[in-house]
Amino acid sequence: MSLQIEGMTKRFGTNTVLRGVDLALAPGTITAFMGANGAGKSTLVKIVAGVHSASGGTMTLDGRPFAPVTPSAALRAGVVVVHQIINDNVVLTMDVLENLMIDRLCAGGSPIFRRRTHRDEAQAMLDRVGLDVPLSAELADLPLADRQMVAIARALAHDPKLLILDEPTSALSDSEAERLFAVLEGLRDQGVPILYISHRMGDIRRLADRIVTLRDGRVTGDFSAPLDYSGAVRAMLGAALDAAAHDRVPPGPPVLTARGLRVLPGAAPLDIDLNAAEVTAIVGLVGAGKTELAETLYGLRRPLAGKMTLNGAPYAPRHPGDAVAAGVFMAAEDRTGGSIVPDFDLARNVTLPFLGAFSQFGMMRRDREARRASEAIAALDIVAQGPDDPIASLSGGNQQKVVLARWLTRPARVLILDEPFQGVDIAARRDIGRALRATARDRATLVLCSDLDEAIELADRIVILSHGALRAEQEAGALDRTALVHAMSAAA
Amino acid sequence: MPDTVLTASEPPARSGADLRVLAVRWGLIVLLLGMVGFFAAAEPAFLSVRNMVIVLQSVSIVAILALGVTCTLVVGGFDLSIGSVAASALMAASYVMVVWEGGTLAAVAACLALGLLVGLVNGLLIVKLRVPDLLATLGMMFLLLGLQLIPTAGRSIATGMSLPDGTVAEGRFTATFLALGRHRVWDTVPISVLVMLALAVAITVFLTFTRWGRVMYAIGSNPQAARLAGANVERYKIAAYMISGLCASIGGILLAARVGRGDVSSGNSLLLDAVAAALIGFAVFGAGKPNAVGTAIGALFVGLLLNGLTMMNAPYYTQDAIKGAVLVAALMFTFGLSVRRS
Amino acid sequence: MTLTRRMLLAATAATLALPAAAQDAPAPWDGSETPTIALVRYLSTGDFFQAYLSGVERQAEALGAELRVFDSRQDAALQSDMMDQAIGLGVDGIIVQHGLTESMAPAVQRAVDAGIPVVAFDVNVENDAVPQIEQSDRDLARLALEQAIADNGESFQAGYVYVAGIAPLDRRDETWQEFKERYPGIEEVASWGTLDNPIANSVADQASAVLRANPMIEVVFAPYDEFAKGVVIAANEAGMAQDLKIYSADMSTANINAMREPGSPWAASAATNPAVVGEVSVRALAMLMAGEDPGDQVVIPPALITQDFLNENDIGNMEELAAKLPSFAHADVAMTDWMPLPPR
Repeated sequence: MSLQIEGMTKRFGTNTVLRGVDLALAPGTITAFMGANGAGKSTLVKIVAGVHSASGGTMTLDGRPFAPVTPSAALRAGVVVVHQIINDNVVLTMDVLENLMIDRLCAGGSPIFRRRTHRDEAQAMLDRVGLDVPLSAELADLPLADRQMVAIARALAHDPKLLILDEPTSALSDSEAERLFAVLEGLRDQGVPILYISHRMGDIRRLADRIVTLRDGRVTGDFSAPLDYSGAVRAMLGAALDAAAHDRVPPGPPVLTARGLRVLPGAAPLDIDLNAAEVTAIVGLVGAGKTELAETLYGLRRPLAGKMTLNGAPYAPRHPGDAVAAGVFMAAEDRTGGSIVPDFDLARNVTLPFLGAFSQFGMMRRDREARRASEAIAALDIVAQGPDDPIASLSGGNQQKVVLARWLTRPARVLILDEPFQGVDIAARRDIGRALRATARDRATLVLCSDLDEAIELADRIVILSHGALRAEQEAGALDRTALVHAMSAAA
Repeated sequence: MPDTVLTASEPPARSGADLRVLAVRWGLIVLLLGMVGFFAAAEPAFLSVRNMVIVLQSVSIVAILALGVTCTLVVGGFDLSIGSVAASALMAASYVMVVWEGGTLAAVAACLALGLLVGLVNGLLIVKLRVPDLLATLGMMFLLLGLQLIPTAGRSIATGMSLPDGTVAEGRFTATFLALGRHRVWDTVPISVLVMLALAVAITVFLTFTRWGRVMYAIGSNPQAARLAGANVERYKIAAYMISGLCASIGGILLAARVGRGDVSSGNSLLLDAVAAALIGFAVFGAGKPNAVGTAIGALFVGLLLNGLTMMNAPYYTQDAIKGAVLVAALMFTFGLSVRRS
Repeated sequence: MTLTRRMLLAATAATLALPAAAQDAPAPWDGSETPTIALVRYLSTGDFFQAYLSGVERQAEALGAELRVFDSRQDAALQSDMMDQAIGLGVDGIIVQHGLTESMAPAVQRAVDAGIPVVAFDVNVENDAVPQIEQSDRDLARLALEQAIADNGESFQAGYVYVAGIAPLDRRDETWQEFKERYPGIEEVASWGTLDNPIANSVADQASAVLRANPMIEVVFAPYDEFAKGVVIAANEAGMAQDLKIYSADMSTANINAMREPGSPWAASAATNPAVVGEVSVRALAMLMAGEDPGDQVVIPPALITQDFLNENDIGNMEELAAKLPSFAHADVAMTDWMPLPPR
């Protein structure tokens, strides 16, 4: 049993996500698969699982050509995937037995479902993963960890030829994770190749026989025992640039300050100042608390503890409207879900938060909107025919430029960008970085990302966030890359 | 994702696409004109001013309700309670005037307040308690259908009726109130038509040209993006349901003024006709989304169709089938042809 | 009874059929043109209204008129619009079938102002120029109740199905109240009723409970056929069909079959033939259009149909009923010597 991937490429429109990936998964190995957000991990997994089809390259499974066109084709071939979002793996309104038997239900067979005939089989599936819950318990009533174990139990019942797990332990306690590891080791000993996607260094240390890192759609590292863990993190985060591509701008007075702020339960409180004219990058892996921090600053969630001030005055936004009114703007992490209005054209997407500035007596002034949009198209090199272009006709990078243009429309006190380069090609990324630095003088700018290179390219100051707490802080021009990488990887 | 630059450089694909764009944009209008032409040829009286006024009058109440439901469609919601709000307003107006012997203003105010209140409750159910919009407004529909019968123990309200407590209702519909449904300006145009036109213009302007309308469209297209852009999504949604309730109650007032009594069965067909008008509106000018102009034209479409079919002596059951066919065709224009993404 | 004899005579006349009379008819029925008449309806679904329409169609055809049908389907505002539409089309006469006084009175006035003759069936349009066509609800109730007394004596325990607020039911109720006063031996043990659709089912649900609670009920007066159907269902379910007699109003083929089921408790029903009502409506309008006066009120007398009569004559549908019971096939009202009748 083995999977061979050769020269796999994948493009979405103009955006290239995989640029020729070669990967061989041998029987009886657990391969840890690491990569920052947007590196292409999940795209690769989706191709193997039959969700997407590759733009180029070949796959063989057990020596036979393998090109699944649907998830069920992949499953029939023996590729079993446990997805990261647990609730996607289970049906919450059904009980344990029904969840375990759901593939059987969907596969056809007797039209009458008799619980009794399936009870022993279901119980055996639970025993295999050492999960002790009643078969009649409804999934919605189980803790996340048990739901995950049910999903895994179901996956194992397929006698997988290849098992892919995407962040399977993110919701599990240590003892639950240990139980899962024992099951995985059992499978490994039976010769099943396992691809294990995780950011948790602890898991990887415990389990992996091999580490493969992916970055910008390419395999950047392939480590066998003895494993070089910090080498792997470096390969995953990139090592291209050693010095900042720009000079450090002297910071102005603090604009937004947070004291004793806690955004994750159980995390240490953090203190941070966002200074005028300065671009601060907060870098952390998935689950470090970046998005939680951004949402707290933007009024989407309350801090668990601590206080914030804006220009010296107390600042406690109750919803984004408060934040925008106070001059704190944020471009959200999920561009499609959180920023773009798909039915609107380019101009309307730009002006959305500031309609008051583009209207008179409540009536929209289309001429003013069009002027602002044309301005933005020119300033950010947006590839579009004009302000009336439907937003959906723009590439990901250009959509991101539109989102940036939106928040540059009015002067900000604080501008927060959460993962601004996700799904953005390199050229657009340069344009966005340039525009961001060029306009940074009159505000405090905060960029949150998981890619160290992106941060170095952009920021005057880099702060490492891990488990909701600040771990290290360095300024552009005097970066100690090793220390930063260490701070990121050591934490888990 | 379609790439505009790419398609521009491929002429053969483009001419096909052009045809489709044309069909999407003008298909329904062509259908409408063809239909008018056909009826006019078959029955010359169809195009007379008098008949056109009748058409407008017959669609006015449905159109007013449809304009309201358009506002809820714009914010990505739906309001199934409009028909019963109109029917409740009809009963409320009758109750105020016939039982309480109130005046025109009191009756109108009671109806408008009722509409706003129902809209507020709908909005709160949907926004605060997170009841799915279809279910919340469906529940409200049932609630109102029952509630409106309680004060009169299920009877229609007419002067001289005996009340559940044994007394006799002595009040009557005021002449001013009845004029809302029956007076004709310059002896031709009924007031309900003027109200419909005014509301159509007002809601078109509101949705298309004001900043509040803009935010409502943003909420309908991507509520999370609207929220992150600083919009108070909850408040806008509640407002949309209140507008819908208000429109429905205005429709109810005009209906009461035309019927002239609190008739329990009036307003039965309003919901489906109004929803059909709003959905047909999606296809007008290829808008592909809820819009007030489209809704008004959609209502007119249905009105002309029914009027013409009646003139052609088509039995009522065929009219339903044809109305359904038009709706399905409109939905095809909207969804099947316009949004074809690879 | 003079009424019955007159009807018999008319029926004989009808069977002779006199289409030739049309030649002597006054304008506009003299054949020189094809007058158009409009039927503007408020209620249209159901057996009764279907049969009514067929009567209108038959009589209009016999007269040589073109008929336009406007169905408002219980939409009072639309019915008023349709009146305007008919006026706009320039029809020569209008029949208003049901509707609400408040919305139809002004609409009818507009037609009258436009010089169009109008007759109204079962709706009071408060207009002296408009003859009223009515089935006599009091006669319907009286015929059924008289039969109940003939069958059961002057003293029995009764159930009564009734919903207030519906004009014909209210009129039938008045007769019921009179009968109870006149015959103190009649004891109304229980009263129920609903108009929830499907009516027969809803009434059956209620009646099941009532009959279980009051097994001593001997007679049920259900003066509307949907009510009667519901009680029949409930009586069969409760196994009380033998001990119960149901007296009702209205008739249809389905009702005939229900009455003729072996052991059916449905003893009798008083009815006017809806097709006859339709024919009379057109005839009254035709007289009005010819400048003759059909009278302010044109009342169509009902006939009583008993279970025994149906069984004895082996009647299976409305056509056979009309053939066997002349008073059901033709009503000698709104008749003139020139009036052509539909062929039978």
